[in-house]
Amino acid sequence: MYCTNMALSDSADKTTLMSIQPYTEDQSDALQEVVNIAMGQAGDSLARILGNFVALSVPRIRLVTVKDVIKTVTDMVDNNAEISAIRQSFSNSLRGEAIVVFAQAGADDLADLMGYDTDLDQSAKQELLLEVGNLLVGAVINGISETLKTDLSFSAPSLMAERTPLDQVLVPEQLSWSHALLMEVNFTVENRDFKCHLLMFMTEETIDSLRGILDEFMDGI
Amino acid sequence: MTPESLEKWLFVPCRHNGISIELTQAENGEEALAAYRDGKAEVMFLDLTMPVMDGYQVLEQLQKEQLNTFVVVVSADIQPKAQERVKKLGAIAFIKKPVKTSDIENVLHEYGIV
Amino acid sequence: MPDANDTTNLLNFIVDRAYVGIFVINQKREILLWNQFMEIHSERKADTVVGQNLFEAFPELPQKWLDRKIENIFILKNFSFTSWEQRPYLFKFAHNRPVTGGVDCMRQDCTLMPIKDDCGEVQYVCFTLFDATDTSIYQSKLEKTTEKLRELSNRDGLTQLFNRRYTEEALEKEFSRARRYNNELSVILTDIDFFKKVNDRHGHLAGDEVLRVISQRLASGLRGTDILGRYGGEEFLVVLPETGSQGAQVLAERLRKVVQANPIKVEGESLTINISLGVTELRSNTAAYAQLIAEADLGLYQSKENGRNCTTLFQPGL
Repeated sequence: MYCTNMALSDSADKTTLMSIQPYTEDQSDALQEVVNIAMGQAGDSLARILGNFVALSVPRIRLVTVKDVIKTVTDMVDNNAEISAIRQSFSNSLRGEAIVVFAQAGADDLADLMGYDTDLDQSAKQELLLEVGNLLVGAVINGISETLKTDLSFSAPSLMAERTPLDQVLVPEQLSWSHALLMEVNFTVENRDFKCHLLMFMTEETIDSLRGILDEFMDGI
Repeated sequence: MTPESLEKWLFVPCRHNGISIELTQAENGEEALAAYRDGKAEVMFLDLTMPVMDGYQVLEQLQKEQLNTFVVVVSADIQPKAQERVKKLGAIAFIKKPVKTSDIENVLHEYGIV
Repeated sequence: MPDANDTTNLLNFIVDRAYVGIFVINQKREILLWNQFMEIHSERKADTVVGQNLFEAFPELPQKWLDRKIENIFILKNFSFTSWEQRPYLFKFAHNRPVTGGVDCMRQDCTLMPIKDDCGEVQYVCFTLFDATDTSIYQSKLEKTTEKLRELSNRDGLTQLFNRRYTEEALEKEFSRARRYNNELSVILTDIDFFKKVNDRHGHLAGDEVLRVISQRLASGLRGTDILGRYGGEEFLVVLPETGSQGAQVLAERLRKVVQANPIKVEGESLTINISLGVTELRSNTAAYAQLIAEADLGLYQSKENGRNCTTLFQPGL
């Protein structure tokens, strides 16, 4: 007799799975697992660069509409205080944008956490945010493309917000999509005031193309 | 790790050795412990990142209750510190996701489970 | 279809001649490839740098920072980037806008790409370096223009004082700052006495001139940290951070005297202009910044009732 234990089939995630309407349960399971793996690699990269153990949350996957994107994001981040954020786009077989949201206290603490002089100037601090954000996004993109055996490339990161309330970072009126697939995970450094969220938004056409990619992936297991 | 994929991974080594297995799936850490207490698990494949009760808590509880089982942690959290921690908490092995059949086979062989 | 040899030649040619800096280093930081863009801008031929350690060949590079970045690529196997916006340049290259540029050297965006072997280990790092000088010049022009527009949108066209919206926003900010740090804060609201008569008798142009002169006089009577704005037609709002009612009253009297000190000449006539003022300060029970304006307004009303050309401090229960 064997007892297996699956993170993706807990009751909280049942609702997640049901809300990813366009996918079958198998496809949702596979997607959740691919995202788990990719996010785990991102966490490992972050842990190495910070020299600290990083606690990972269970990745959440949602289908969001442009109308409720702000509410979904602020609920996920559970914090409407000031944040700093960077963004990066990815393209090729999957298209979308990744955003890394840093809780402000952690962003301020980053230099110290990474062993730099703490009196860095503004540009040097921005550079650190970009560096860490790029590291997370790069690791997730690599993880997804390696697991799904599909090619992905990504752009240089850019600063999206500094010391801005989270609900002002995304402006729905300026967004040109109606639905997106959103994947979220957060990373916390124990004993330190550091927390960041990685949000990956995939576009509508990607939601469709992902279906075929997931099927191929499951056939390959 | 879906039940189907785990079954597939386990099926090959088990059939080779003429062992039949039964899988019980737990929804979270608490259910896993309950299943274990019911005597439903000789080997537990345990994920780390779970809601309600995570993998570390399950391991701690097993230690506290002095329950002896083979716990194989299967996790996407591949930080060396995570591996250290679970070993300290009594896990016999740490298998990184994505899982390869050979990884599972090796562990089962090493501990003479199959 | 070109054959493989043709393709290789073509690629070699493109890598060499593309107007993008391309160079490759190994784990020892030795330069393995150096294209024409890099040759031209570094004024170093490929055969003089290939085989050399990057940091020895270019001591001006930010070694400590860049070396760590490179090392992380070998360990973490990820792409890495630098942007001119945070770090204007890696190499101190001349740029091609020596006449119209206004920047000291070429602004650079840089991508660091891991090149892996068959086992997935990083063997080399390929740098691609883009000239971002033009972008940086446009950006700085845009920033200057935006700053000017922001400044303009905060100003009152006639008096060049802050406008009502900006002054209220400033008061709101000072209000929450004073609350947070438990600081004092006062507000003065002032109004020109019998301004309507100036307009009626001498016309609107004369009225405008009076407003301009009085604005200058009010500004000259204040301290650097005080915020002065035109609040309405002939009404002015003064925000006094870290100032209690006593200091505010002294300041209000100074303003009253500065305004009336010299007659204002309009259309050959000398007009002596007076102002009335209302003063209030932040108290523990002040609910919102707007309450301060309302209280100062009550003080101002009292000054008008008391015969104008005077200052009244608002008192709760007034």
